[in-house]
Amino acid sequence: MQTEELDERLTELLGTTVEVEDVVLLGGGASKEAWKVDASTPEGGLELLVRRASGGNIYSDTLSLGQEYKVLQAAYEWGVKVPKPYGYLEDLGGREAFVMERLEGESIGRRLVRKEEFEATREALPEQLAEELCKIHAVPFERLPFLPGAQDEPAAAYNLESLERELDLLEEPHPVIELGLSWLCEHVPESHGIVLNHGDFRIGNFLVDEEDLVGVVDWEFAHLGDPAEDLGWPLVRAWRFGKDHLRLGGINEVERFLEHYNTLTEREITKEELFYWEVLGNVRWVIGSHNQAKRHLSGQERSVELAILGRLAAEVEYEILSLLERGG
Amino acid sequence: MQDRPTAGELVKSVREFLEEEILPNLEDSRDEFRTRVAMNALSILERELAQEEFLLQAEHERLIRLLDEDHIAPGSLEELRERVLELNRDLAGRISSGEVPDGTLELLKQTTADKLTVASPKYLERYEE
Repeated sequence: MQTEELDERLTELLGTTVEVEDVVLLGGGASKEAWKVDASTPEGGLELLVRRASGGNIYSDTLSLGQEYKVLQAAYEWGVKVPKPYGYLEDLGGREAFVMERLEGESIGRRLVRKEEFEATREALPEQLAEELCKIHAVPFERLPFLPGAQDEPAAAYNLESLERELDLLEEPHPVIELGLSWLCEHVPESHGIVLNHGDFRIGNFLVDEEDLVGVVDWEFAHLGDPAEDLGWPLVRAWRFGKDHLRLGGINEVERFLEHYNTLTEREITKEELFYWEVLGNVRWVIGSHNQAKRHLSGQERSVELAILGRLAAEVEYEILSLLERGG
Repeated sequence: MQDRPTAGELVKSVREFLEEEILPNLEDSRDEFRTRVAMNALSILERELAQEEFLLQAEHERLIRLLDEDHIAPGSLEELRERVLELNRDLAGRISSGEVPDGTLELLKQTTADKLTVASPKYLERYEE
């Protein structure tokens, strides 16, 4: 990415003379690039994050960057804790991108679940996460007609159909995933309506400081679905980063999170329903892992990091089977 | 027959090279992470070279019993792989059509645990704690 081009684009976008001082490609997202950009303007310094398209996608229902930007904007206007969106760029070095505020905070799961300095944060997160989800699930989505997902209740039927489709596309026999899906089909819980789902609401996509949640990032999997889907996803064992006994993302117990959410939203999502969505989350993630490996195997994006996910999928399968054993 | 080092010994030598000579000299955290992933992939391969045939045979036996299939001893490792793949295809098909054989969950748990002894033995240890 050329600094001159960034100067020009950002100047157009922000309506003031922008001079880029530093550009660094950050690690992270497999399907999107994240660039740390420091710039100066006559009005003062700017700390920006530029998100730009890169390779393929984990799931077929992934938003384009332009769509993701619109969702971020809607969430920001509704008061959800997200980075302030600055603008969308159709062409930045040949690919689409958008620019947002760079929030300061930690998002690396391994650090968040372990480091002493985040102890107070871990204690505060169950309620704070519930509060953000409550806001996200109330974001008006009429202006976001492109959102994929369920149109009719129960939303779970849509989830199951798309998981079955994704599994078929793998073109390999996966009896464990079939067994998970058949359990899910037989236990569809009560519907709680259809709302905007963040779609990847889990440790790793939360920015925190030493006290509080600072922001919810990575909106590329936003879609319409049952609110309980977003509640179950952060419980998936893969997002506990080794602190496996703490069901809410390796940071805390799940009860406070669920209770606070129910109080704020006046919904009555039960622990059993949450368990259902946790199983569904694991099935979604195991298919996602195989899809990642497939990107490598098909030559779409050669990478040992993607390749190994095909083998680590066995971890998720083991979790699915253990959950089924417990849940009957 | 090839001379030594064996396949397993060769893989191990590459993994040790990455660990002892490459990893300590990396400065970029992203490169370091990817190198660790590569080392992990080689460890998987080392364990698989040692255990593949034994684990496949055990899986073959279990699947035959579950699906009530005739036992035809596969003539080669390649044949064994293909046979196990076919049996898994059969099992997956039965599950998806709603005819889950008795004992499926237990069989899959055992097979998945076996897969983990190759792919991620530490995960299995931690899980059982």
